[in-house]
Amino acid sequence: MTRTDKRRHRMRKMLAWSGYTLLLVLLLPLLPYAIQAANDTQNNPAGYTPPTVVNPIEVPSPGAELWREVRQRDGSYVGDTQVKGVETGVLINKAGEDWRLFRMQMLVPYGAILMGAILGAILVFYFTRGTLRLAGGFSGKKILRFTLSERMVHWFTVALFWLLAVTGLILLYGRFVLIPLLGLEGFSVTASACKEAHNLFGPLFLFAMLALFITFFKDNFYARGDLKWLSKAGGLLGGHVSAGRFNAGEKIWFWLATLLGFALCITGLILDFAVVGLGREAMALSHVIHGISAVIMIAVSFGHIYLGTAGMEGSFSSMANGYVDENWAKSHHDLWYEEVKGTAIDAQEGKQGGGVPSGGVAQARRDI
Amino acid sequence: MAVMKFYCDPERCIECNGCVTACKNANEVPWGVNRRRVVTIKDGEPGERSLSVACMHCSDAPCAAVCPVNCFYTTDDGVVLHDKDICIGCGYCFYACPFGAPQFPKVGAFGTRGKMDKCTFCGGGPEADNSAEEYTKYGANRLAEGKLPLCAEMCATKALLAGDADVIADIYRKRVVNRGASVFNTGISYQNSTLRNPKGTPGKASSEN
Amino acid sequence: MIAQLVDGVFWNIAVAIFLLGIAWRIFAVFRHGARQDLAEPRGSAASGAIHTNWSRFIPRREIVAKINLHVIAGYMFHLGLFILLLFAAPHIKFAQDHVLGFGWPAMPHWAFVVVSQIAFAGLLLLWLQRVLHPVTRLISRADDHISTILVFVVMLTGCMALFESYTGLRVLHRFSVELFMIYFPFSSLMHAILFASSRGYTGAFFSVRGVKA
Repeated sequence: MTRTDKRRHRMRKMLAWSGYTLLLVLLLPLLPYAIQAANDTQNNPAGYTPPTVVNPIEVPSPGAELWREVRQRDGSYVGDTQVKGVETGVLINKAGEDWRLFRMQMLVPYGAILMGAILGAILVFYFTRGTLRLAGGFSGKKILRFTLSERMVHWFTVALFWLLAVTGLILLYGRFVLIPLLGLEGFSVTASACKEAHNLFGPLFLFAMLALFITFFKDNFYARGDLKWLSKAGGLLGGHVSAGRFNAGEKIWFWLATLLGFALCITGLILDFAVVGLGREAMALSHVIHGISAVIMIAVSFGHIYLGTAGMEGSFSSMANGYVDENWAKSHHDLWYEEVKGTAIDAQEGKQGGGVPSGGVAQARRDI
Repeated sequence: MAVMKFYCDPERCIECNGCVTACKNANEVPWGVNRRRVVTIKDGEPGERSLSVACMHCSDAPCAAVCPVNCFYTTDDGVVLHDKDICIGCGYCFYACPFGAPQFPKVGAFGTRGKMDKCTFCGGGPEADNSAEEYTKYGANRLAEGKLPLCAEMCATKALLAGDADVIADIYRKRVVNRGASVFNTGISYQNSTLRNPKGTPGKASSEN
Repeated sequence: MIAQLVDGVFWNIAVAIFLLGIAWRIFAVFRHGARQDLAEPRGSAASGAIHTNWSRFIPRREIVAKINLHVIAGYMFHLGLFILLLFAAPHIKFAQDHVLGFGWPAMPHWAFVVVSQIAFAGLLLLWLQRVLHPVTRLISRADDHISTILVFVVMLTGCMALFESYTGLRVLHRFSVELFMIYFPFSSLMHAILFASSRGYTGAFFSVRGVKA
């Protein structure tokens, strides 16, 4: 077979399989109904009619219907009331207890466990394995990795993230951790300050996330070699794996942070603007998503921060002044290094005195 | 110790909103805050019933559980109160409360609500009993004077009962027994009756004949 | 006790240092005078001074692309700050009660929050650029960083006290303002006053020579 024939054959196979999968996916929602129908025929064979009771005393448990509607078990029932407001006609808010149980019995303990476990694992790793040194040492030549605008966007997001994370954690855990230290009045002041700071500067985080996403998404798509990088844990288990400008770990962090960050922003805006009148169920659901996303994002950010600072030698300078050592680039991002190795400059350039890199105007412009 | 509870009898409530008015009058609540409200179910249809709802002073109060600053406390009488000086106005108690009891005086963007206000069972707050500060912040403290909440005292039909849970349960049990007897008398469930008061049951509190 | 100090003695000290310091700095700048120019003036110095004061608000076309972040973030911050100072309800109340005796309409609460977000973002972007750009990082001194941090603290404590229910937070905000006022005359924050004379001098100098600067 010629290559075109083989290709055509492959295309047809792919099309067929896609078609079958699509059909299966479309038919899948019908499965519960099929199961239901099967059960009905089993319980009520064809021709069966339930017996009629003649003239019963129609005394159901008095008020059962009333209380069922009050209790909202069958769905939301809204009565009438003179009080104007959101959901004032609702007698029992079912979502409230569900949310209370989730927040106090799941989010608070499991969130602490998740964040504590990851922090603990990082500390254990640091104190046993230590900083991962740069193979071959520093070469003395540096390459520009992040431009000024990229670094600006990153640190802007960092500043907001820290403000929001710290104030958010104080609001979630302060009752258990800080009230014993500060007392009820002392913590009330702290919590009020944190609530104001969190609610007021939260919406800014949306702009930061948008800017961050637009700045970095181009190099974060899947590329060949990412799965291999993951399977070898980036070379942690020994050996060397290739990577482009961003390795698979960085890409996962980018997409996770994007997903969680936008979830936080949207749910945060819903929570911040209760004035819109969305109701308690929407608020509770938003809080659930907000809390889970926040805890996960904080926990994973510990790893990101560790790797960018103490974890790998030579990494922090990429975000601090934009430059990385040539050896670092060769060692960690060799495919990217191949693209940019012509731009390496001496590490001492632009450090003290003078301040003008000898690359001239072109170099200066690339800084921005 | 007495455990204070409310109970509103939907068979007797005539939706007069006397309880609402009494509460607002006794406690000088700010505009927009409704500590108590009357909700009518199946308005205009057979089986219409009304219920007067405010804070139910739960034994395991969800509002107290979720408060980030722990501003709630339960008195010896089982009344759930909170400290407005500690409250930061986050609104979590309102999200958690099944009855929508917590109220907020302000409506604004960026989570601005003001300090939470709710039914206190006419029990005041953490300030000194019957002091001026207590009255401005929390309203009347009738419990300290040995009285029961004004909403229940004002109820014309004694639909809304407030007081010791055992006593209230006993009162309601007697009512239910009487009504059950009246149902057997007439053969229809009072849930389905169009008339609120079944005929042919003289001497019963719920009958008009 | 601390609240009384902050609202009383410290405030008076801070205002005194603020006003006297500014007066001293302005005097120090102007006492040298301008060099006598004996040539026939080709334009009015005053009109040049005023014109340049206004024209410098918009950067030159040739360098706009290079400094666009400075311009945008700069305006975000400065405009936001002045709107907050002048039209935030708690500030107007303060001016009415303690300074002027009269007030004026305040902006709604949500507008206050939006403006403070813009100002906050502007300040953060400006300071980040100062730290991250290799040139500005080298030429920045402690004074620049302290000024930024002081303004940042003032704004942050202001927002944290927004619930207006806690004396402690309001006192913290006021105290940070007092620190700011004490630091103001001795730092580059004086640009808030001196920019007018600086632009004015350039404008006057060139206008007298017949050049529109």
